[in-house]
Amino acid sequence: MGISCKQAVDYISKKEEGKLSGNQRFQLWQHLAICKFCRSFSKQNKLLTSIFKKRPDTLPEESGTVDKQAIIKALEHAVGGSLN
Amino acid sequence: MDLVKKQHDVTGWVNEYSDALFNYCLQRTKDRDTANDLVQETFLSAWRAVDGYSGEASVKTWLFTILKNKIIDHYRKMSKRQTASLFNDADPFFDEGNHWRDGVCPKDWGSDAQDKVEAKEFYVVFDGCKSKLKEIQSAVFTMKYLDGLDSEEICKVLELTSSNYWVLIHRAKTQLRACLEMNWFTL
Repeated sequence: MGISCKQAVDYISKKEEGKLSGNQRFQLWQHLAICKFCRSFSKQNKLLTSIFKKRPDTLPEESGTVDKQAIIKALEHAVGGSLN
Repeated sequence: MDLVKKQHDVTGWVNEYSDALFNYCLQRTKDRDTANDLVQETFLSAWRAVDGYSGEASVKTWLFTILKNKIIDHYRKMSKRQTASLFNDADPFFDEGNHWRDGVCPKDWGSDAQDKVEAKEFYVVFDGCKSKLKEIQSAVFTMKYLDGLDSEEICKVLELTSSNYWVLIHRAKTQLRACLEMNWFTL
């Protein structure tokens, strides 16, 4: 009796961290050989994880700015005096 | 440190670094309000700790360290709240026999999937999909795939059991995949 699709998806994530035993790797391979949905999932997962690795740490500056005066005001309030 | 200089410095840091901190934070929290609050708290902590700041690390690095700790505290708080409720919900993608449910089976994304992820607009759709996750799922996903931490580190930081962690990753991935498929890859 092979593994289920849900288990296969779980194994795919664990495999990324090298957390599958030899037997589990074989079971996953066996499942992917017969299940086109999980094969698609596996392929898509690889594509997505490879692209995330390339993503920069912070969003570009133009994606959001902060209300600096509000921060300064909150600081003034908290420390009980003018910061200027 | 002399108070006037301290005030001058911290105000300067707000002007110089708050946008960078905000954008880093925005990618890791659910909404702008939370990101705003965490950035504000970062400067407040910086103000309180400025006398102990050794000047060894750059100011920017130091502020980012404070912010990262704030984000982790925030994650921990909601991790306790959200993890419990998550396990009561039925898995939306798998049936009782643990096979893909009808209608949500992964579809073929076509031969141009690689080009599609490299398009600039992809991240707009991706961020939209990620914002639909529960915050704890999104946090786990971000730490794993954007920050490159492994499961042990994430469990330790968020005080999660290993089995809860794998369920969170599983749910986050299946949900994101389905959302991206519908809104980007099979448009």
